[in-house]
Amino acid sequence: MDDLLAEFIAETREMLEATGGELVAWEADPADRARLDSVFRFVHTVKGNCGFFDFPRLAALSHAAEDALADLRAGRREASAPLVSAVLAIIDRIAEMVDAIEAGEELDSGDDAALIAALAADHAPDSSADAPDAPAPLLPEQLMMRRSDPAANLIAPRTIRLPVELLDRVMIGVSDMVLARNDLAHRLRIAGTQPTIDGPFERLTAILSDVRDAITRMRMQRIETLFGALPRLVRDLSAELGKQVLIDLEGGNVELDREMIETIRDPLTHIIRNAIDHGIETPAARLAAGKREMGLLTLSAHQSGNTIAIVVSDDGRGLDAEKIAAKAVSSGLITAAERATLSREKVLQLIFEPGFSTAEAVSNISGRGVGLDVVRQNLEKVGGSIAVSSQPGVGTLFTLQIPLTLSIIAGLTVEVAGQRLAIPQGYIEEIIEASAEALDYARMGETALVTFRGERVPCLLLADVLGLPAPEMTQGTHTLALLRLASGDLFALAIERIHSHGDLVVKPLAPAVMKCGLYAGSALLDDGQPVLLLDVTRIAAEHHLLSDTRARTAPRKAEIAGDMAQSAGRVMLFTGLDGRRAAIRLELVQRIETIPTSAIDRSGARPRAVIDGVILPLTGLGDEPLVRGKLRLLRLSDGLTELLYAVRDVEDATELPASLGAAEDDPLVEGLALIGGRPVAVLDGHGLFARFGDAPRPATRPQCLLPDTEWARSILGPLVEAAGYQVADPAESNASKAVTILMEDVYEAASHVGQLPAGPIIRLRDHPDAAPDSPSIYRYDREALIKALREVRDSAPLARAAAMGAVA
Amino acid sequence: MSALLLMVQIGGRRCAIEAQDVKSVIDLGVIAPVPRAPSFIAGITALRSQALTVIDCRLAMGLSDEVWPCDSRAAVVAVEGHSYALMVDAIEDITTGLSVPGQIPGGFGAQWSRAADGMIETGIGPALLLNLPALIVGPETSISRNVHAA
Repeated sequence: MDDLLAEFIAETREMLEATGGELVAWEADPADRARLDSVFRFVHTVKGNCGFFDFPRLAALSHAAEDALADLRAGRREASAPLVSAVLAIIDRIAEMVDAIEAGEELDSGDDAALIAALAADHAPDSSADAPDAPAPLLPEQLMMRRSDPAANLIAPRTIRLPVELLDRVMIGVSDMVLARNDLAHRLRIAGTQPTIDGPFERLTAILSDVRDAITRMRMQRIETLFGALPRLVRDLSAELGKQVLIDLEGGNVELDREMIETIRDPLTHIIRNAIDHGIETPAARLAAGKREMGLLTLSAHQSGNTIAIVVSDDGRGLDAEKIAAKAVSSGLITAAERATLSREKVLQLIFEPGFSTAEAVSNISGRGVGLDVVRQNLEKVGGSIAVSSQPGVGTLFTLQIPLTLSIIAGLTVEVAGQRLAIPQGYIEEIIEASAEALDYARMGETALVTFRGERVPCLLLADVLGLPAPEMTQGTHTLALLRLASGDLFALAIERIHSHGDLVVKPLAPAVMKCGLYAGSALLDDGQPVLLLDVTRIAAEHHLLSDTRARTAPRKAEIAGDMAQSAGRVMLFTGLDGRRAAIRLELVQRIETIPTSAIDRSGARPRAVIDGVILPLTGLGDEPLVRGKLRLLRLSDGLTELLYAVRDVEDATELPASLGAAEDDPLVEGLALIGGRPVAVLDGHGLFARFGDAPRPATRPQCLLPDTEWARSILGPLVEAAGYQVADPAESNASKAVTILMEDVYEAASHVGQLPAGPIIRLRDHPDAAPDSPSIYRYDREALIKALREVRDSAPLARAAAMGAVA
Repeated sequence: MSALLLMVQIGGRRCAIEAQDVKSVIDLGVIAPVPRAPSFIAGITALRSQALTVIDCRLAMGLSDEVWPCDSRAAVVAVEGHSYALMVDAIEDITTGLSVPGQIPGGFGAQWSRAADGMIETGIGPALLLNLPALIVGPETSISRNVHAA
């Protein structure tokens, strides 16, 4: 096809998509000049472009619509529902014609004339003088519009169209470059440090990662392109069904992979159809129910990490759990006995089961043979999920979770029987490493179970799944990945060890490999080695670990968990710096930190440490000096205050037995527990926080102003900094909060003229000898100086209080 | 027909691949096996940032697991958008085809007939001209096809 023609078709399509939403908005508010202008621009551009080609019918249609719209713009006509519908019909026809032109077909000359006549339907009452097809006199404004280049009307940033294939080629090229860089990095490491090469190499690395980001973004598209068509869809549907629906779109600037957009287009459309058809009531029913006549359909997109959540909510009648349950029982999805055990929320999810459809009569809107089960399937195929929640009479809310992109995913590389395989990170609930006894591994016929947090979880051996030699599970320690499927099912996959984790660029596999049914794709690791990406959902399905059976065993699991309720909660086991085994309640542990010992400040009355820019109290250090360069810490939090507890080693999280032995006299120990046959001191969270807890404080050190001499800068300065101060720049410091060190003579001079600094002052003198009660310190009396600095700092609350006062 | 051909040995037989189908000849590096895949799929390997499926041509032709010599190089071909590395006994030479592929009385045997377009005369003697899409399907499917036919 002629390039020019292809360009014309593509441009018209793009504008059609963008105009769809404008049209509906304009219909809702005919006085909205901006919308009218943009609709007018569309038909005008189409008309103008037709001039280059021989499309007389297209030209006639767009010309007629343009005239009608021009009348509106000039105020010669009022917008009315029939007129808007007629314009919409013409725009639809234009879309059909564009399709036909692209396919090289001749669209049968339907009722163009009727469409054009419809424009004039309510024309006559306004001004009978103007025949619709007679050229209207041109207004100056119109003249301007005609002269202007249509492209100039586009407000969007400049864009060009590219074949996706070309993008893919560039992406492959960049991936190749990254691998070549990694190879080079490896060789450079072997060759040792070479400053002349390392610098440029670092720059290359930075540039490459920039380029890679940009390339990834090239594949991204704003979800707006999908949202753009929805107002029109909603308008047409609600008109057809005699309902009034207002659509509210939010988060159109969220970006996702353009192929993903195509994948969710149908599921999303289906849900919207459902909402309008079944969810939102007729205006009369809504009024009777005390709602506004017009139903509200809200779509919002949010990105969080690597997933996008799209929420579709309506304020309709909501889902009828009883009806759904009855339907599910009658169609054999569940038994009546199972029904009794299911919660309302679980019942609602049944609408995604294959073979379920609530509509009594199949309407031509939502009953098109495609059920919500297909919607769920399609989403799960790309690693997404869907859930529904609903309040009767209030509305229904569908939540779709979809991964940002098909081609780059976060993955965990694991090793089994000498082979590396990747698991998408999204499935991984937790990695546990535990002994066979702790796992309570049990073979049940051909399947196996492990116990995880009091739940019996089916366990697959990855080696078995792959037909590789499997390890003996009844002994030794094992690494298990707990995988949570999109359907909510949980199962354990025994692996040998974790290799690495990171972003994987996933490539499709050859059909012969896909046929194995175990793999979703392949990826290259940083060292250029290929790995296979496991198709977790399919593996689970093959082993019958998916969905419906699970939904019904879940309550039973909860019963089993009920037995565990006797246990007094979970604790984290660790070995303290004093070599004593101890435990602390898991809820208190926020995370485990490792800090260099240089971040610890033991100079104050209580040890403190700086983590992530905040100062936290530190306990558990004991009196021993810190020999190691790094220290492991438990970061504990009671919600408001935090503290750090130094440990030698973190062991494991475990159940706390119901009864605790009497504690020693230590006020910080709640009691003694027997865990694994050995006594463990359980720390008293209340006692710890009562004594040490402190709200995190920003790690700004107190400031200190030094005398302006070389001696002060080079000799006094380091000492002051070692004492935990920051040497302040006199020009910038806030003198009222800073400590000032003054030489005695300067102090006297300043006090004479009454210009003493506002903050605390430490006075230094030049001679060792002085009167016993002298307020000054000999400048080489290190101990006295440090003591003075500390006293000032420990009275810091004073300064802080002053600062607060200033704020108040 | 004077197309360039890549000459290879598969299971001791001389075969030809049209050179225009061959993207490159690479040194086979580490091959990651694909558990549970048919045996003729030797695994996947990396060509720069691309993953290649390595096909052991001897097994793909349904030959028994006799020990054949194995070239450290492999021919990379693309079929339907996927890239494959073909493992063969030896990659011999590039030469010119001197005839159009033809059949011989008695045929080549079921597997070879399936995966070859026919015999072709070349600068270094006669060879079987391979049909790549048929070759990479492997022997299994052909067996099931025979079952369906029967």
